Amino acid sequence: MDLLTSAWNYFLNRQDLMFEVLKEHVNLVLWATFFTIIIGVPLGIAISRTERLRDIVLGSVSILYTIPILALFGFLIPIMGIGSKPALIALVVYGLLPVIRNSCVGIIQVHPMLKEAARGMGANNLQLLFRVEIPLAFPVIFAGIRTALVMNFSLATYAVFIGAGGMGRIIMQGIRTYNTGMLLAGILMVVITTVFLERLVGFVDNRIQKRFSLGD
Amino acid sequence: MTREISVELQNVSKYYGTEKVVDEVSFSVEKGEIFVLIGPSGCGKTTTLKMINQLIPHTSGNILVNGVDVTKLDAVELRRSIGYVIQYIGLLPHLTIQENIAFVLKLTKKSKKEQNERALELVETVGLQANYLKRYPRELSGGQQQRVGVARALAANPDILLMDEPFGAVDPLTREQLQNELLRLQESIRKTIVFVTHDMQEAFKVGSRIGILRQGKLVCLGTPMEIVRSEDEFVKNFIGQGALFEVLDTIPVLRAIEKDIPIVSEKGKVDLSDEKLKGWENIFVTNDHGQCLGYISLDSLNQDGTFSAGQIEPLPAGCSPEVSVKQAVEEMLWKGKTWLPVISEDEGFKGIVLFSSCADLLAEDRR
Repeated sequence: MDLLTSAWNYFLNRQDLMFEVLKEHVNLVLWATFFTIIIGVPLGIAISRTERLRDIVLGSVSILYTIPILALFGFLIPIMGIGSKPALIALVVYGLLPVIRNSCVGIIQVHPMLKEAARGMGANNLQLLFRVEIPLAFPVIFAGIRTALVMNFSLATYAVFIGAGGMGRIIMQGIRTYNTGMLLAGILMVVITTVFLERLVGFVDNRIQKRFSLGD
Repeated sequence: MTREISVELQNVSKYYGTEKVVDEVSFSVEKGEIFVLIGPSGCGKTTTLKMINQLIPHTSGNILVNGVDVTKLDAVELRRSIGYVIQYIGLLPHLTIQENIAFVLKLTKKSKKEQNERALELVETVGLQANYLKRYPRELSGGQQQRVGVARALAANPDILLMDEPFGAVDPLTREQLQNELLRLQESIRKTIVFVTHDMQEAFKVGSRIGILRQGKLVCLGTPMEIVRSEDEFVKNFIGQGALFEVLDTIPVLRAIEKDIPIVSEKGKVDLSDEKLKGWENIFVTNDHGQCLGYISLDSLNQDGTFSAGQIEPLPAGCSPEVSVKQAVEEMLWKGKTWLPVISEDEGFKGIVLFSSCADLLAEDRR
């Protein structure tokens, strides 16, 4: 009980810091997700066309995905130093797999008959992609983005190791200074915001799935 | 009258690797007719259809659309100028009915206003209410979706429609209804339609001419009646042996209607030396508006071919143009008549059917 009270007190006293780390965190995650999308979606669509390219790209992204984040930081620091840039790159690397895979699968699973109907009505390649394939693949693509976003949000807690700030700062500081109130406040903050984010995108995702579902 | 050819295939073949799926197929589709391609699955009928709008490029031969070789046209432009209807799954599920109908107009960057107006007009043409426009395909029944499919194909007002088993995915009752609607619609829009089906009854019902494909070859080509009389073993088997009478049940009486019946204006007189009168017992009297007032027996005419209004006998109760040849024959047998007028509810007198021509169809060893 004492612990919770001290966490609550910490939270009340250091609202400014809390707000600051949250801002850093969200900033990092949003940029990372942004880059993940602009790299991952086109790449996923591109590899949906050729099977060989697909195996190569998905294979390499899967390998990158299995590297533990601390090891990845180890790779990045000698090249880029510390700060938000390597953190951003690490998050993009992890976000790519679900986004590329879902974009690719989403496009592939568009029913060939629908594509043929659109072509039969005179859609050219670009119109087919933007008016038929992408809209129909959108729920699947969005599910990939959702996974990447939520994963990056929790992964970004590690960004503190590389000097990129974020909510990890409070946890790290709490551990270093044996300030259990601070530690718990940090942990709770991460947990609550992550759950909140998951719920929020889950809600949006549901709306999208409903809106786009083919149904019968 | 020279008949205009809308679509023509000249010795068209299609190979997949070394496999020949369409083999030297030639036919021409006249403007305003419904040309049906039929055959067992894998016979190449769908491939043939898709070669017309170049969804599948042909390997050899020539395909002419309105007299122009399709390989000389831009494929995208060609497809935009031809309506295309497939099974109802072809509606785009992420678009509303309105957006689906206006899809081609959107592709050709027509104004939003034009798209909406055309969608509204067409949704009514195919017998749906305007409040369906804002709905999504999944909210419609199979039959309704199929109607939207037809409306969508008509959006850019093409002269030619390609229909690939358009009613294959709906229940038999709805299918029959859609076939009737297509025929009724065709009466007013007069498009050139190439129609693919695997259902012989459907082919007899909608087709003005039918081409039967077997292993990529066109084995038989003709009007439904010519098909019925075919001596070809494969064709006989395909349409079903002894199915003649059943087949007649699928041929609309409109197709058995006599084309050249003797007609005289109510104010005119009959030219008794006219060759046209040969073999006829009666002559039909029309007024200035082309409506039929009745008929006169040739025997009761005055020597010089004149007649008075009193001699005109009113038409007997007729049949509707939607009944089949078989039903018309049954009607005649019931009433003890040798002919029946065909009378449409909206347009009145459409012509007559003769028992003898119907009976000819029923005879087995016809040539």
